[in-house]
Amino acid sequence: MLEKLQKRLGGILLLLALAVAAPVLADDPPPTPEELVKIRAANGECLKCHSEAGLKKPPKEGLDLKKLREHLVHLDTFTASDHGQMACTKCHGDGYDDHPHAAKAKEGLSECQDCHARKAMRIERQFDKSVHAENLSDTFTCATCHDPHVMTVAEKLRDPHKIVAQDNKICLDCHDSDIAFAKMAPEKKKRPAIDDIHSWLPNTRLHWKAVRCVECHTPSEDKLSLSHEIQNKDKAEKKCATCHTANSSLNARLYRHLQTEEQNKYGFLNSVILSNSYVVGATRNPSLDLILIGLFLATVVGVIGHGLVRIITTRLRRSKNHD
Amino acid sequence: MTKRIFMLPLWIRLWHWSNALAIIILSVTGISLHFSDPNLPLVEFSLAARIHNVAGVCLAVLYAVFVIGNILSGNWWQYVPKPPGIIGRCIKQMQFYGIGIFKGEAEPFPPTPEVNFNALQAVTYWSIMYLVMPVVILTGLVFLYPQFAPDHLFGLDGLLPIALVHYIGAAVILLFAVSHIYLGTMGPKVSSLFKMMITGWYEH
Repeated sequence: MLEKLQKRLGGILLLLALAVAAPVLADDPPPTPEELVKIRAANGECLKCHSEAGLKKPPKEGLDLKKLREHLVHLDTFTASDHGQMACTKCHGDGYDDHPHAAKAKEGLSECQDCHARKAMRIERQFDKSVHAENLSDTFTCATCHDPHVMTVAEKLRDPHKIVAQDNKICLDCHDSDIAFAKMAPEKKKRPAIDDIHSWLPNTRLHWKAVRCVECHTPSEDKLSLSHEIQNKDKAEKKCATCHTANSSLNARLYRHLQTEEQNKYGFLNSVILSNSYVVGATRNPSLDLILIGLFLATVVGVIGHGLVRIITTRLRRSKNHD
Repeated sequence: MTKRIFMLPLWIRLWHWSNALAIIILSVTGISLHFSDPNLPLVEFSLAARIHNVAGVCLAVLYAVFVIGNILSGNWWQYVPKPPGIIGRCIKQMQFYGIGIFKGEAEPFPPTPEVNFNALQAVTYWSIMYLVMPVVILTGLVFLYPQFAPDHLFGLDGLLPIALVHYIGAAVILLFAVSHIYLGTMGPKVSSLFKMMITGWYEH
């Protein structure tokens, strides 16, 4: 409790400090082409060691290669990521200029909230209620899931397939690997087999290619972004019809960034989903539905009408015969 | 005095009623899935999906039984619409359904062991059983194993055309089923044809 209060106070103080010191913020304008050339050149110096090539052919003798292996950056992935236009030294500041890096360099590493202050405050409130905070509050940080050298926010990725691939990889890297899971999980906690616990979900692996784990494992109250309150199976969504319906929750989740673009294309409900998935119950064509329902009703009414006329004419004939 | 003619062997009757049951189950669950609404569930979605999958596989197996049984027994010939004068016979049959029956006229082409179906029945049954049914079953199987659907088609998910064909085909079968049940009352007595479908004997 006290720790949490300290953390909060720390956060508030930090915010005040940031407000005074004109910090680097997430919404700062991108660097000019000239600045970018300089940034890329400076980053190239770091990548001389911190890349696959650097690991294979270390430019310097006496490097701890085992340690280096854990700190590699893939240049293309980094360049495409949200932080791809930033200098390494923006976050890896004091102590990282020379090699060997200063012993306490890590302590000076920028934190996510240094730039993403507002977002971090909102997210932290959600994260505090999550299953990860419940069990791993000491070790779990933003970077546990969101590698800052890799991540691209969904809004920029846009393509749902790419969003799903990126985000599900984060979850499955731990939850589908005994080794990675054991590194983070509390002692004695055994990793449940991911396919077994989802066996109730038809076409499980296909679902995971089409939608994110967080579609079901987060509550839907946050309107600004997807909630960071990751929920376990007790709270997670299990009703298929939440997505598989005309008013599909996928609109507010995976497809929220495409909402304004493709509504009602080809006369389909939730047509924005159609470019990637056919979702039974959600991606329907109301005109076709109307035609088929109309034909069905016409057949039923026709059959009943025909039957009634038959009954009436039979009775009439009978009464005539009696006469 | 009523005459009895033995018309339908046991395997056809068993196939018919199993097929009917499968189609009723598939219709109810299919409608639940397509018009899925969390506030107004006909059958809860995941339950409907499971039932629909099992019943769908049953229908596919029954279809195989139907085709093989028809080949082995020679019954397939009954379904073939036989051209000379078929249009005239169809028109005569339609006149009976539209006018004649109200006047108490007799069925123009009553069933015989050699010719079970009137021309209109042959055309409809043939289209449903050899055109619509295989399409609905095949698209249903792709639905069951969506990894076999094309990834993308015209910039949309490849499952969309499969789903549309499945939906429209299924709707056609449902429309057929409604008319089929009603036309079942058109025998010598309202119950005659239903009885025949159960006992195999046509009474007239």
